[in-house]
Amino acid sequence: MADIEKDDEAQAAIGRGSDASGAPLLTVSGELDMSNARELEAAIDAVAGERPARLVFDVRDLRFIDSAGLAVLLGAAARAGQVVLREPSPAVSRVIEITGLSTLLTIEQ
Amino acid sequence: MGERPASGGPAGEPGADAHRRGPWPPSPAFVSALLLGAVVTAALSLTTLIVYHRNEQRLLNLRGRELSLVLAAQVPSLQTPLASAAALADATGGSPRRFRKFMAPLVGAGRSFSSASLWPVGRMPLAPVAVVGPRPALAAEAARAQHFLLHGARPGALNVLGELSRPHPGLGFAYVAGGYAIYAENQLPANRRSKIESNNAFSDLNYALYLGHSEHTSDLLLASVTTLPIGGRRAKDIVPFGAAAFTVVVSSRAPLGGVFFSDLPWIVALVGGIITLAAAFMTDRLFRRRRDAEALAAQLDLAVAEQRSISQTLQHALLPDTLPALEGLEVNARYIPAASGVDVGGDWYDVVDAGQRRVLLVIGDVSGHGLRAATTMALVRHAALAYASQDARPGAVLMRLSEFVTRRGGHDYFATVLCALIDLDARRITLASAGHMAPLLLTGQGGDFMDVATDLPIGVAGDPAYREETVSVPPGATLVAFTDGLVERRGEVIDVGLARLRDLAMQSPGALDDLVSRLARELATEDHSDDTAIVGIKWQT
Repeated sequence: MADIEKDDEAQAAIGRGSDASGAPLLTVSGELDMSNARELEAAIDAVAGERPARLVFDVRDLRFIDSAGLAVLLGAAARAGQVVLREPSPAVSRVIEITGLSTLLTIEQ
Repeated sequence: MGERPASGGPAGEPGADAHRRGPWPPSPAFVSALLLGAVVTAALSLTTLIVYHRNEQRLLNLRGRELSLVLAAQVPSLQTPLASAAALADATGGSPRRFRKFMAPLVGAGRSFSSASLWPVGRMPLAPVAVVGPRPALAAEAARAQHFLLHGARPGALNVLGELSRPHPGLGFAYVAGGYAIYAENQLPANRRSKIESNNAFSDLNYALYLGHSEHTSDLLLASVTTLPIGGRRAKDIVPFGAAAFTVVVSSRAPLGGVFFSDLPWIVALVGGIITLAAAFMTDRLFRRRRDAEALAAQLDLAVAEQRSISQTLQHALLPDTLPALEGLEVNARYIPAASGVDVGGDWYDVVDAGQRRVLLVIGDVSGHGLRAATTMALVRHAALAYASQDARPGAVLMRLSEFVTRRGGHDYFATVLCALIDLDARRITLASAGHMAPLLLTGQGGDFMDVATDLPIGVAGDPAYREETVSVPPGATLVAFTDGLVERRGEVIDVGLARLRDLAMQSPGALDDLVSRLARELATEDHSDDTAIVGIKWQT
């Protein structure tokens, strides 16, 4: 029992850039949960300082998202005009659908 | 932690603990390693010593044998001239002149013999007819000469006579052939001492040479030492010498295998001792470190268990301790903390009496973990109960709750909430969902997730609307509401988890308590990194 936690800590990779229209683009891959949601929050702070009209997340390689991860996306939705999730996996898009968040987050396949 | 007085840790009483940290008394590991090392070192040294002694004895035997061979090789150099002289005498009819002429070059100081004489053996009394060098003492002792030359001598061989008790001791050699005996003498040093030159092949040996088969001092011919017989490690050999024999005894002056091998047992003992000491100290260190680490791990275990117990106590304090008891309705609920969790979670549930034989079910999940999620959860939970006491319609409860949370500000969390108002007698359920997963309804016909419009989670948008759905249920129906920890798994679409839940629930007829227990046991254990709440509500009729 001395081996405490952390063995199931999720690994996510976050990349920054901008899409074709010039909107800020964040690429999130791996697993996003409460253990690393803060990293994404910091990345959003860095690109979304000026309330952009559009903020794009490339999530094609995101395999898992939990409620803490969703909370970060919703926080971004409150600060940007439109939050776009590009090519979410079925696992991610079903969670968004079930939680009723598809009205707040635009999904682009 | 060594400085801290023991605070009731598992290490034991403080006095003993502090005592054991000093260098004295040495730990059992130190003593064991020292003893083991000492035994091994002693055994190795002893073995080396035994091997050394055996090897020395073997080498000494070999050297003694070499000396014997060298000695035996002297026989022809003595026998040949005597045999030749005998043959000459036989051929010349015992001519003294020819004998003297033949033997003269061989007799004298530094030559083969000190004297030589020719004896016709057929004539009595026995006496030499020709003598080269001093006249031998044997010539004056007719009986002795007769005994040695006539009866004792082996024809055709070198016969040896010890003249050892005379003032000038020596060895006599006789060769008898035809009608003549040739007798020659050799002088020995009066004290029988012989020096060995340092460049001699046998300079590493002490030796003693005896006539015959024994080591009697009276038979001593030559020795390199004064103390006789030779003691200590020795090798003895009998050397045939003509018709007689010599006894050779040798011992070594220095280790024959070299000084290194004679020192080896001590070198082994010294090196072994050093290694033993080092190993003992090393073992002691490891032993002490492990003991410290174990004590630390035990403290850590205790701290983690304590933390977990605090978390669970807090969590249970935040959850309802009683569920409403209405006749005809069975209510059962479980909260399962995350498997790894020392954290409190953000899941909660409430089932409250809403009057007129109705109950209101509220189940929700505040995003995140930890104390912040738990305090937010407590706030949302109590706010929901407060709004429900004014207006128990699910849509109204969720709308007011959302307004309240949004008004408080902060976008770093949200909550999914399901509200269900259950009318016991009308067998009706009115539902509204703020981003929460629809509950499972089990009836006699089967089971499925209820059809409910999912609206935005609490705390997301300022002015949301929550749609209500009202469903009539058959007698004996069971409603199972849950949070996502029960169905969410990494690496699979959530529908798979939902199907797993539905299948398991449909396979579990019978008491509500059994159903909820089974769901908790089988679905919330394997990889639940998230906390989980389950509420079951069953119409008894």
